Amino acid sequence: MLAYVIRRLWQMIPTLAGVMLLIFFLFNWVGGDPALVLSGKITNKEQIENIRKQLGVDQPYYKQLGYFAFEVANGFTCTYRSYVDADGARAKLRAEGKPAPCQAVRSWATNEEVPKILVTRIGPTLTIMLPVLVLETILGVILAIGVAYVRGTLTDRMIMMVCTVAMSISFLVYIIVAQYYFGFKWGMFPVQGWTGNFWKDLTTYAPLPIMLAIFVGLAPALRLYRSFFLDEINHDYVRTARAKGVAEKVVMLKHVLRNAMIPILTNVGIALPGIFVGSFLLETFFSIPGLGREILVAVNRSDFPVIKAATVYLAMITMIINLLVDVMYKVVDPRVTFK
Amino acid sequence: MENLISVQNLNVKFRLDGGKIFEAVKGVSFDIPKNSTVALVGESGSGKSVSAMSIIRLLPKEQAIVSPDSQVLFEGRNLLTVPESDMRAIRGGAISVIFQEPMTSLNPVFTCGEQIAEMLRLHTSLTSKQAWARAEELLNEVGIPNPHLRMRSYPHEMSGGQQQRVMIAMAIACEPKLLIADEPTTALDVTIQKQILDLIAALQEKHHMSVLFITHDLAVVGEIANHVVVMQSGEIQEKGVVKDIFERPQHPYTKALLSCRPNVESRPMRLPVIEDFMGEGLKPVHTEQRLRGFKPEDNFILEVKNLSKHFKLKDGLFKTRDVPAVASASFKLAKGKTLGLVGESGSGKTTVGLTLMRLHDATGGEVLFDGVDLLKLSERDFMKYKRRIQIVFQNPYASLNPRFTVGQILIEPMKIHGIGKNDDERVAMAMALLKRVGMPEVSFYKYPHEFSGGQRQRVAIARCLTMKPDVLICDESVSALDVSVQAQVLNLLQDLQDEYQMSYIFISHDLAVVKYISDQVMVMSEGNVIEVANADDIYLNPQQEYTRKLLGSIPKGWHAEKAAA
Amino acid sequence: MSAVMTEAASTAAPLHQPSPGLWTLAWRRLKRDRVGMVALVIVVFFLLLMAGSYTGLVAKNWSKEVGVSYANPSFMAGAENLEGSKSAAADPQANVPYVDLSDIDPLAPRYKEWEERTAKIKITETPRAETLPFGGDKWGRDVILKAVKGAETSIFVGLVAAFLATVIGTVLGALSGYLGGRIGDALEWFYNVFTSIPYILLILAFAAVFGSSPALAEYKGVGMVVAILALTGWTGIYRLVRAEYIKHASREYVKAAQAIGASHQRRMFVHILPNVSHVCLVQLSQHVVQFIKAEVILSFLGLGVPVDSVSWGTMLAEAQAELVIGKWWQLAAAGLSMAVLVTAFSMLTDSLRDALDPKIK
Repeated sequence: MLAYVIRRLWQMIPTLAGVMLLIFFLFNWVGGDPALVLSGKITNKEQIENIRKQLGVDQPYYKQLGYFAFEVANGFTCTYRSYVDADGARAKLRAEGKPAPCQAVRSWATNEEVPKILVTRIGPTLTIMLPVLVLETILGVILAIGVAYVRGTLTDRMIMMVCTVAMSISFLVYIIVAQYYFGFKWGMFPVQGWTGNFWKDLTTYAPLPIMLAIFVGLAPALRLYRSFFLDEINHDYVRTARAKGVAEKVVMLKHVLRNAMIPILTNVGIALPGIFVGSFLLETFFSIPGLGREILVAVNRSDFPVIKAATVYLAMITMIINLLVDVMYKVVDPRVTFK
Repeated sequence: MENLISVQNLNVKFRLDGGKIFEAVKGVSFDIPKNSTVALVGESGSGKSVSAMSIIRLLPKEQAIVSPDSQVLFEGRNLLTVPESDMRAIRGGAISVIFQEPMTSLNPVFTCGEQIAEMLRLHTSLTSKQAWARAEELLNEVGIPNPHLRMRSYPHEMSGGQQQRVMIAMAIACEPKLLIADEPTTALDVTIQKQILDLIAALQEKHHMSVLFITHDLAVVGEIANHVVVMQSGEIQEKGVVKDIFERPQHPYTKALLSCRPNVESRPMRLPVIEDFMGEGLKPVHTEQRLRGFKPEDNFILEVKNLSKHFKLKDGLFKTRDVPAVASASFKLAKGKTLGLVGESGSGKTTVGLTLMRLHDATGGEVLFDGVDLLKLSERDFMKYKRRIQIVFQNPYASLNPRFTVGQILIEPMKIHGIGKNDDERVAMAMALLKRVGMPEVSFYKYPHEFSGGQRQRVAIARCLTMKPDVLICDESVSALDVSVQAQVLNLLQDLQDEYQMSYIFISHDLAVVKYISDQVMVMSEGNVIEVANADDIYLNPQQEYTRKLLGSIPKGWHAEKAAA
Repeated sequence: MSAVMTEAASTAAPLHQPSPGLWTLAWRRLKRDRVGMVALVIVVFFLLLMAGSYTGLVAKNWSKEVGVSYANPSFMAGAENLEGSKSAAADPQANVPYVDLSDIDPLAPRYKEWEERTAKIKITETPRAETLPFGGDKWGRDVILKAVKGAETSIFVGLVAAFLATVIGTVLGALSGYLGGRIGDALEWFYNVFTSIPYILLILAFAAVFGSSPALAEYKGVGMVVAILALTGWTGIYRLVRAEYIKHASREYVKAAQAIGASHQRRMFVHILPNVSHVCLVQLSQHVVQFIKAEVILSFLGLGVPVDSVSWGTMLAEAQAELVIGKWWQLAAAGLSMAVLVTAFSMLTDSLRDALDPKIK
């Protein structure tokens, strides 16, 4: 078990290195010169050169990669330039007897420290997405068992048809319409807003986005989970259970459900890292200061440091979650052995 | 004798894809007397399993239609019409079932103890604790060592034989009056089969229950059954007590089934096939015996020395572990003769075949073909020899590319090896070969899925023949076929050997078939060669303990029982 | 029981018929599936619409401002349209104060001539319609024609991106699954890198870079959306195709091909590929749906097609503000046409999957 976890952690290193290379390739190579990206705002040539120097993009690529690797290694809390004190700023502070902390990576657009931005944005996102994931999974499983139980009937076919149609309408249409009617026209929920007070947000501002996300996510979840149950129903052990005289309901709720939990867990595991990005659409529409909206804003402003840091952080979280899910398999599936 | 169950005029139809209807069982009637074993015998598609599953209504509801005038009488009631809730009490209580594949028939996520205890909780008034204790007694009764520990084992932690014992423990838990055994030993090795058959027979006697034993293997029937019902394409051809069926079979189909299957006592020049019995005017049964064995003056085409093959498994953080599949196998193959390779699953017999033709990379050893070590040749030099060693696989449904027509399948190797001057010539050769293996010429334009298992195996043989190989490896090539088809394919292989002087390496777990077709036999177990000798010598006078055990497990059918009595 | 069924089916099948291949059989199964055929007809209709719109046969004049601003749909002709009447009432000329510049303007003598010409043109210009079949947008353009034009963009992006993603996924999956070893490990690493970044974030990262890169500025537009979706969307297909190749590589027919001396390329592409192509086809179909949805969202956010071209996504972006003033028709036109196409495509995918399923035969 421990050996397995250690080996998995060891195997994360090349993957993380790959993520780093991919991001570097995208942003520093394809993305091109940040000075040109930012040149819309700044026209002074000298200033541009100065920025290039500060960002280190006047250096050859291998050095830039080194700087980036340094930033990744310390979680974007310290830039290489400030670490080696290239412009002597920290030395100056020290000479004055003041504390001279290492400079964290800063946003190009707002000059805020990137790690701080991201940490403060995670709360609202999880306030929305955790309830969504939990409720959606529970509802999806319950409904899927019901539908699988009446498989092949008209009810089953009708529900599947409704799911297909519901899935075909764009998420945008749902949000626009729901916000207009529930918020604007009927005033059942606030149209948008966020206070920062967890309970107030959860009870006032979160319900509409949460319900929307569940409503939209339920149709695909139901379809998928139903297919898991139907797969299991065709297995030989179900026939054995019937031959033992087990009632059909118990066959579904005990024998089939227990086995179907394995692919369901896989699926939840895949969806889990996504809750950190959140539904950027919901956050944008409802003005929720979450991570998804922050990333979207950064994309629109070409604020590369924020996107780069968010990507690396989330890749790490994803890898850790994947490991946890794999360990969870052992609980659900006795056939799993850690090798 | 009093009847436990009486099946009367059973008709079952299936709805197929595209609105077609298939009649699986057509008006079948038979009785299961109390305290006896009835064998339901037939080839695939005979409707034997469908008949048995109809008794406890386990057919898929969506497709199966049981006609309303069918009756299954059990204790004065028609099981086909009792309410579902009563039926649940009967399933597992009065009538229980064991299936062919114990691995998939047990629920993988529950312990064996839990699965047996569930049965007891459903049909008895035992508390959970009592049920658990009783389950442990049952495991002990079916001969599972260390039952206390095994109660908490999951199915995948047990061998196939043990899994089937757990299934049996579950089935007899509530003292059923009838046990339906649906091909319970087909997926098991021959030594395990023997143990399971003995166990079922012992339990039948001890618990005074009846057994409905479904099988395709008449040899097994002779060992276990009191009554026999022979089925063919949904109809009963013959039924009676076992002695009559074996000694005085009335129906030609029964006669054919009894004589198609090779047995270890005799080796006729040709195996009788169904047409010999079913056609008009009986053809004479071949009584002339074929003599087998390598002779000192034989030319050897293939000599294998210390062939070994290890598989690498990942183990721990960075290590890999060597798992020997074959450890140092040595043998010779004479021109125009057959070497039989027998062993149970995991013995490495298939690996030997695949390794010597370089479908696996060998770990060590030599394969001398006409004096040339095949294992040392470069890929380019080996190309010339590829043509000369060919293989026919086990599963006729997987060994032909489903997207190729039979014609494309046959032309492809000729093109690769530059056989035939042009496409016209190749087509002509392919047509001739199809005819030679007993297939009509129109098959050239058809796809594999349009043929039965036996026909596909003929196509696979024809594919090898296009290259005129010197050595043909038959890897369980007839194991997946029905008895009657098996005889035809074995006859074809024998004819081809006589005609083309090919040498065969015949790999099989079926000792009777190997005895019939082989000149020399090599016995393998767990990667080691146990014994190599002429076929008759090995069967009459086995030198090794393992070989004796293996031969002792062969179901002998009726003849041997009678001879012993 | 399934074993019994397949045995039954195979013995029941007639043996002497001219031979249909597996594709023909799948097509026959699909033809029996009524829902699937209806879906196919709808999908083909949309494809024809796309082709027509591309070649200019339909919706050529979608950008013509034929109606008043926010023209009502013709079935609600009587409804009030404040915005529309305002725009109709506004006469641009009346608002411009007249200043005589003839002294300093060398072109002044020609003003009169121009004015006359303008007046002539004004007369030939058809008056703006009060209503349009399904309403008009802010500039008085017919929303049905707009939706058709939008369909062209969205379907094109979905089809091309899905095709590219399927090709990338299939080729990489085939190499990884069939060859295994070092190449397989390298491709697995590549796959792990892509999948350890949440999909949405990956798309946004690509969009951010591609959108702001000065080097790629000239390729901005539909092509860039296609590239983003294809480069990020191949992973699921890769996974499936790889699993299929691993499964098939150990099948006996491939071993038999090896035994008769067929080369690696031949085994990979002539033997195995046709046997996994049904997986690719179903994936292709599924990804078209997925990418159409993604394109709509990207364009809505302004990360997709450029502002001057129209897609369902840009229509929805306009419609969001219109809804508040009660003009729901653009939202309905874009949302409905997309829903119809995507529903049909999803159902076609389901039917395809059933028809191509090798288990049912």
